[in-house]
Amino acid sequence: MTTYIIRRLLYMIPVIFGVSFIIFVLFNVVAGDPAPLLLGKHATAQQIHDLREQLGLNKPLFAQYMDVVKSAFTFDFGRSWATRQDIIEMIRQGAWPSLTLTIPAFMISTVLSILLSLVVAFYRGKGIDLTIRFLCIAGQSISSVAYILFFQYFFAYKLGWFEISGYEPEFPMFLSYVALPGIIWIVLSLGPDVRFFRTVILDEIYQDYVRTARAKGLGEITVLLKHVLRNAMIPIITYVVIQIPFLILGALLLESFFSIPGLGGITLNALNSSDFPVIKAMAVLSSIAYILFSLLTDVLYTLADPRVKLK
Amino acid sequence: MSTRLIGLVFAFMLAAVGCSREQNFDEKVLNLITPQKIKGFDPIYAADLYASNEIGKVYEGLLEFHYLKRPYELTPNLAESMPEVSADGLTYTFKVKKGVMFQDSKAFPNGKGRELKSDDFIYSIRRMADPKLQSTGWWLLDGKIAGLNEWRDKYASAEKVNYDEAVEGLKKIDDHSFQFKLTKPFPQFLYALAMPFTFAVAKEVVEHHGQEFQNYPVGTGPFKLEYFDNSNRIVYHRNPTFREKLYPSEGEATDEAAGLLADAGKKLPLVDKVIVSIVVESQPQWLNFQKGSADLLGVPKDNFDQAIVDGKNLHPDMAKKGIRLSMVNALDTTYVAFNHTDPLFKDNIKLRQAMSLAYDHVESNKLFYNNTATIAQSIIPPGISGHKKEYKNPYIGRNLEMAKKLLKEAGYPEGKGLPELNYETVGSTVSRQQGEFFAKNMADIGIKIRISTNTWPELVKKTNTKTAQMFGIAWGADYPDAENFFGLLFGPNESPGSNSSNYKNANFDKIFAQASIMQDGPERTALYEQLYEMAGNEVPWIYGMHRTSVTVYQGWVKNYKYIEFNHTQVQYLNADLEAKKELLKKF
Repeated sequence: MTTYIIRRLLYMIPVIFGVSFIIFVLFNVVAGDPAPLLLGKHATAQQIHDLREQLGLNKPLFAQYMDVVKSAFTFDFGRSWATRQDIIEMIRQGAWPSLTLTIPAFMISTVLSILLSLVVAFYRGKGIDLTIRFLCIAGQSISSVAYILFFQYFFAYKLGWFEISGYEPEFPMFLSYVALPGIIWIVLSLGPDVRFFRTVILDEIYQDYVRTARAKGLGEITVLLKHVLRNAMIPIITYVVIQIPFLILGALLLESFFSIPGLGGITLNALNSSDFPVIKAMAVLSSIAYILFSLLTDVLYTLADPRVKLK
Repeated sequence: MSTRLIGLVFAFMLAAVGCSREQNFDEKVLNLITPQKIKGFDPIYAADLYASNEIGKVYEGLLEFHYLKRPYELTPNLAESMPEVSADGLTYTFKVKKGVMFQDSKAFPNGKGRELKSDDFIYSIRRMADPKLQSTGWWLLDGKIAGLNEWRDKYASAEKVNYDEAVEGLKKIDDHSFQFKLTKPFPQFLYALAMPFTFAVAKEVVEHHGQEFQNYPVGTGPFKLEYFDNSNRIVYHRNPTFREKLYPSEGEATDEAAGLLADAGKKLPLVDKVIVSIVVESQPQWLNFQKGSADLLGVPKDNFDQAIVDGKNLHPDMAKKGIRLSMVNALDTTYVAFNHTDPLFKDNIKLRQAMSLAYDHVESNKLFYNNTATIAQSIIPPGISGHKKEYKNPYIGRNLEMAKKLLKEAGYPEGKGLPELNYETVGSTVSRQQGEFFAKNMADIGIKIRISTNTWPELVKKTNTKTAQMFGIAWGADYPDAENFFGLLFGPNESPGSNSSNYKNANFDKIFAQASIMQDGPERTALYEQLYEMAGNEVPWIYGMHRTSVTVYQGWVKNYKYIEFNHTQVQYLNADLEAKKELLKKF
């Protein structure tokens, strides 16, 4: 397994080259010129030229690409062009609010979804199954913005149960600010998660080993929890773990509506201002996180199913 | 186990709901909202309104706009008096107020702020010109101060910039007086000295914090920064070493009756603390205001009907809570620009006139501005000298018959032979809707419009490279002088300069060049009015609106008066704590 892990980690090198190349091409082909944006509405051609020179945008393309690769490997992303802040510091500051929102909400929604899917699998085809499936589909059919607007208006403003917006980084102060967006996250996640987990569990429930377990006289709940759930773990692990890197990127809409100063807002601002160093940092870091969590998924397979061997 | 865990987490979250900030009645606090992340506190980058407003709480300039008088009038701030200007209009001599102290900071010996001196202004102006720093305000000084461009150019490719080298146009007389020498008369120069770009910073602080200077503002201003998270919240306290600056005792005729002179002669600032929350979306902005957690708010478009009835009066439900309304013409102009490098528009004034006549301004005002805007007849908004109230643009006001006739004379009867035109806009909902509305209007005379949506950087790129055929945009005044608007049509300012429509008219350019260096007076006003009419009749753009600023503020907020250049406004605002206690019961 160690060899496998080392090999997978080494795969990161070409992936980082590839990611650097894609973002470099996108920045140069699609994005706007950052110089006039940074200089404002009165910028002269000379100023634009001088600033491009300072930002290294007048260098040959290959040299620019190598700068991108270098910063991706050294994690030295420099400073934001738009806010002139140290990028690692920006990410460090933004990561905490994002994670205080996304991690608890993600954990709760995952556990809740698995429990609900076990319930609907247990009662498959009956009223409770139909009702929950109907609610999941209905819930998914409504735009996430509609949930946010309604929950914010009703629970925060009308009932006054939660803060309307804002954030305090200290514990436990931040809980009052992330509680409502966290609940919205859970509500938004339940529909797709329950439907997916239900399908996975039902795929297992008709397998021979389940019939064997029942024939041996095991109760339905024991069968579900000890046998079906365990065998369904591989697709569940794949589905769950691969979402984790995206938690780091934050929840863009929720952060925006609830004024949570997370990484979602930082990324969006960077895109809107052609702030290439920040875009580059976010793209590289999320790619690395994605690779690492893919690797974690593979390792977890071996724990969930001893038949899986990593070679 | 899992169920218990979930229960525990929920219980904890609900218990934590009580851990929020409470209203504080022990000190006067203003709770404000800004809709954008603040880029930092370095004055030389104060190009956007939101950063300027924060910079203006900590830093100060030589001059400022009088808080109450209208039309806008410059008044001394850190300057002892208005400058002495030489007869040729080239030399400005300033005396700096004595005893003005920088806020305490560890950048100073023993952490104690030192006295402001004329060197600080010379240093701050040089920072704007520093080629390594690329100030967003350089355009204000570019080519205007003797020797400054040469100094900038000399160090453009040098390793280090020498701030000790003499610059002819920046001359220290003594610790409290200095001179600017201009290269040519530039009457707008004084406005530059009221803009945050030129506010005084201390060299020691800049050098102490280096690249982090923008996060550690230390000025002479009324407030001292206590907490700064550029995407969450900014907290200021009253600056304990602020000088004896008093609330004005004169203003417009109506100010006394409006209670705006009740604090006349009182020492500024009038509140102890200011909390600025960054709230990007309009719903939480509105709900926070409705709950009494925000003291002041520009009414979001979607909430207009909840705030205003009959297009001009405060909604009774809000009036019951003591909320007040301010509706004032902003100094701006919206427009659809033609790209004049495109021969279709450059050589065909009748096509431009036809398109302008096809545009339904009245309906546009209803749809997009809640019928509060003023239809623009030309480039200058009301309130700025050069705006000619009696001028009625013959090509504004929907007249499809005339539009079709002009289109025919332009060579495109019923739009035949005219290729599909490309209208560029940003991707926001309202901008797209405005594009759809424009296309529908043009379709009525047979002109086909294709709408292209862009991110803001993409749109800027297209206008700078002269590849946007038509685009919807707006311009807000940097200072209250028509020169700031007419410059948008001045040929030499073509893209990537501020003349992004690349309009060129030799006669217009000649008059502009003459008027822009004249001191304010009847002669210059006459030339400005000539330009105003020319800019109207030539239809270089399809003019849109001069928008109205609609602001609501809580009944406990005192001394609110709309000011276009509002970066120093907060020091004049007051909060009545007794009224706040009473009024909050109605929320």
